[in-house]
Amino acid sequence: MSLIAAPLLLLWPGAIVLALLDGRRRGPGALAVAILAAVFVLLAVLLAAVVARGPQELVAGGWAPDVGIRLRVDALGAVFAVLSCGVLLASLLQAVITGIHARATPSLTLFMALGLTGLFLTGDIFSFYVFFELAMICAYALTAAGGGDRRVRAAFTFAVVNLLGSFLFLIGIGALYRATGTLEMAAVAQQAATIDPNTGLLIAVTFFVAFGIKLGLFPFHFWLPSVYLAVAPHVAAMFAGALANIGTYGLLRFGGAILPAELELSSAALIAIGALSIAYGALQAIARRDTREVLAYSSIGHAGYVLIALGIGGPVGIGAAVIFSIANALNKTLLFLGSELRGRLAATAFLVGVLSVAGVPPTAGFFGKAALFDAGIDAGSITTVTLLFVGGALSFVYLFQIYQHDRWRPRAEREREMPTGAASPGQRGVALAVAAIVVLLGLWPEPLLAIGEQAAQEITATTPGRAEP
Amino acid sequence: MNPLFAIVIGVLFGCGVFLLLKPDLFRVIAGLVLVSNAANLTLMASGLTRSGQAPIAPVEGNEPVADPLVQAMTLTALVIGFAVTSVLLALCYGVYRARRSVDLDELSREEAAEAAALEADEPPLDEESEYDQQDEFDEEIVR
Repeated sequence: MSLIAAPLLLLWPGAIVLALLDGRRRGPGALAVAILAAVFVLLAVLLAAVVARGPQELVAGGWAPDVGIRLRVDALGAVFAVLSCGVLLASLLQAVITGIHARATPSLTLFMALGLTGLFLTGDIFSFYVFFELAMICAYALTAAGGGDRRVRAAFTFAVVNLLGSFLFLIGIGALYRATGTLEMAAVAQQAATIDPNTGLLIAVTFFVAFGIKLGLFPFHFWLPSVYLAVAPHVAAMFAGALANIGTYGLLRFGGAILPAELELSSAALIAIGALSIAYGALQAIARRDTREVLAYSSIGHAGYVLIALGIGGPVGIGAAVIFSIANALNKTLLFLGSELRGRLAATAFLVGVLSVAGVPPTAGFFGKAALFDAGIDAGSITTVTLLFVGGALSFVYLFQIYQHDRWRPRAEREREMPTGAASPGQRGVALAVAAIVVLLGLWPEPLLAIGEQAAQEITATTPGRAEP
Repeated sequence: MNPLFAIVIGVLFGCGVFLLLKPDLFRVIAGLVLVSNAANLTLMASGLTRSGQAPIAPVEGNEPVADPLVQAMTLTALVIGFAVTSVLLALCYGVYRARRSVDLDELSREEAAEAAALEADEPPLDEESEYDQQDEFDEEIVR
């Protein structure tokens, strides 16, 4: 199946060529958008193939199956790859229309797409780490790109905190290899049942810390607001919509598929940390007035929902985590891209994002929240359902506050604070397109729900006999 | 062999974290380098389950061969660590170019002073020229 390798083979040379060109010009920017669009189409075809025929595999370089590095794509990986690539495409398009100020932005975006696509499509733990570092290094550079010493400082904090997480992850990989003797995800998952419980729990904790840092969960969140505040809106959209998927995917893959026994054991802790994250994010967001600061804290809160769904576990909980993350990534992209656009259509797009985060139908966010409620009721936990309800209500309050603050005040007062004119048709077009997808998924949610269900089934099925509690 | 590796990894990691907590950007980077090497050693140590001759073809006789996979992994991780360190050093230099200091206490003091000046509606002197310089430099850095 060369369909798996094609996106990577297209992105790699593309990113290298673009690194040599001046990304501030129109030409290279358009080329980068074209490459990303082609990759997006390829990944969508791959997703369709996975949905129709089940997981696809490819052993890189024509090696024997147990020697070469295995690329393996199932519904979870394919849907996250499509989602991340789509988010990067929308953000880069917005950036190109607005005008890029840093030479390397298109190239770095393509390298980040390469890292993300690679880690979602690989079936090997160590190549997961390599792709993961590739995406992260691009993120550090993108944070610093464009100037201002505030950005460089934010990038430094971002890099130091996340690198510490990456090295912990590397130590976890070493430990997992020692315990199971293999690096292939499927084989590791089979061997994981034989790991000594204490060792298994330690390994699971290193993975949890590594992905918790990426996702910006409550005790590991401190780098997140300064980065989201310092960067340009399109970069913030890339981070919230695409890069954060690494954390969700990692937790689902390593927690749900590879170490399910440890996930089950720590379910109470996960729900507690998730609840803290939701409360902390929502309360901080309510206290802020700056749009992007509110969105940054809201991201911390929404990471908590994913963790709660994971803590509930089982096919229902994991399915809810997948559906919610997809809806959440789209919402955050829409809100960040629309945050600095002015004008009636841009405001409409932003409002769609606000309603989707609050979970008002007909938007994708409604089905994300509905899946979470479903999981909470399935687990029979009243506290979880209450928490989800309160969290949802709070997110509606803080987002409506910023909507009011940004768009309902007299123009003169507003423009004194933020002197931006009405958005150009192109900028509005990108925001409206993302808003249209959010509404479309709300009106016709069957594909979303079906993919969530398939991903959850595939994850829980990799460990026969251990799926039931 | 195992206890020795464990002790060395522990000491490296501990020293790395100690340096990470210092209020000096350069020491923070040095700390991360130590932590990355602790991780590399852990990778090497994870292959200690079997020892033997070097895994270079042709293998002589029927003697056991050491695990080549961990060495390949460590090599990759070393290269990544190298790249990451250079990115960090570039960022550190960027901070130094803008502020003429890599001491976190000094940087925060300066930032607090600037914030206070902004509140009083008096932008600090030379801000314009400093930012212009910074922009040029950042364009350089992303090249």
